[in-house]
Amino acid sequence: MTGLSALLHSPLFAITLVLGAYQLSLMLYRKSGQQPFLHPTIGGAVMVAGVLILLDIDYTAFNTSAGWLNFWLGPATVALAIPLYKQLHLIREMAAALAITLVTGAAFACLSAIVVAHLLGGSETTLLSLAAKSVTTPIAIGISDSIGGVATITASAVILTGIVGIVAVNPLMRLCRINDDRIWGFSLGLAAHAIGTARAFERSPVAGAFSSLALCLTGTYSAVFIPLALYWLR
Amino acid sequence: MKLSGLLILLCFHLAGEMVVTLSGLPIPGAVVGLLLLFTALLIRGGATRSLEQTGGTMIGLLPLLLIVPSAGVFFLGEHFSGQWPAFAGAIVAGTLLTLLFSALLMKFLAGGKQ
Repeated sequence: MTGLSALLHSPLFAITLVLGAYQLSLMLYRKSGQQPFLHPTIGGAVMVAGVLILLDIDYTAFNTSAGWLNFWLGPATVALAIPLYKQLHLIREMAAALAITLVTGAAFACLSAIVVAHLLGGSETTLLSLAAKSVTTPIAIGISDSIGGVATITASAVILTGIVGIVAVNPLMRLCRINDDRIWGFSLGLAAHAIGTARAFERSPVAGAFSSLALCLTGTYSAVFIPLALYWLR
Repeated sequence: MKLSGLLILLCFHLAGEMVVTLSGLPIPGAVVGLLLLFTALLIRGGATRSLEQTGGTMIGLLPLLLIVPSAGVFFLGEHFSGQWPAFAGAIVAGTLLTLLFSALLMKFLAGGKQ
């Protein structure tokens, strides 16, 4: 049995499982007419978690085995510069609106989470771990560490935020009567980082570029703003 | 997917990581790499075909690359169970409010220009 167990803990198994879960969830997503809660990131994560629980595989060990996949998140992030560059003329057109929305929206994202968690009786650690929930994972973990949050809780908060964002975006935008891809993309990237950005590219290149822009700006701005704001408040 | 485009992405990622390591900035290397590539595109006036193709492929695969971190949500541990109401409530309410806030603010600011 040890041979089989070693195989289940190998990168080969990890990567095959994730790719398989992705293919299957992508098929379900398309067949369902793109139901937001069946988005491949959500469906794939549920399938992968289910298999890990069934086969009693430790998540931390699995995450290490799947390291090859995680590696590509870096170059994929760098690639966001290309659509950003191509949509530069649109971004220039509304630079002032984007700047104001960024500065107030990113602060709102942080404060709204802390206030709601406080009202619902969250511990101080939970509040601190939630502060960076709208920021893309690698930056969020850095922020969380510097203010005394817990990295695993922050990482989960970031992911759940992304999932809530992509599930809610269509009904919310319809409610606000917003059809403009620039607003659609920027708000989603600001509130729901990389998961939102992946979803925005499915809508249109313009929505994707504005979402990438919000993702980068929210991340870098929050990395400076959140630790400083907490430092002053204490 | 062209290898030359992939090489450019890897080089900019590496350059970004170098900047972060040397400067100690609390920003991920990939984000610095993104900003460096963006600057290079501005100077050069556009991306090569292979870079554009590879970049498009990589961006299209983002949902796949986010599956493993997302699965971590199911493994937060038992000591955290008492925090779930506050945690989930803050995320759901906070994210909905943030989306509404930024979308409505932008709609208001963009006003007549649509």
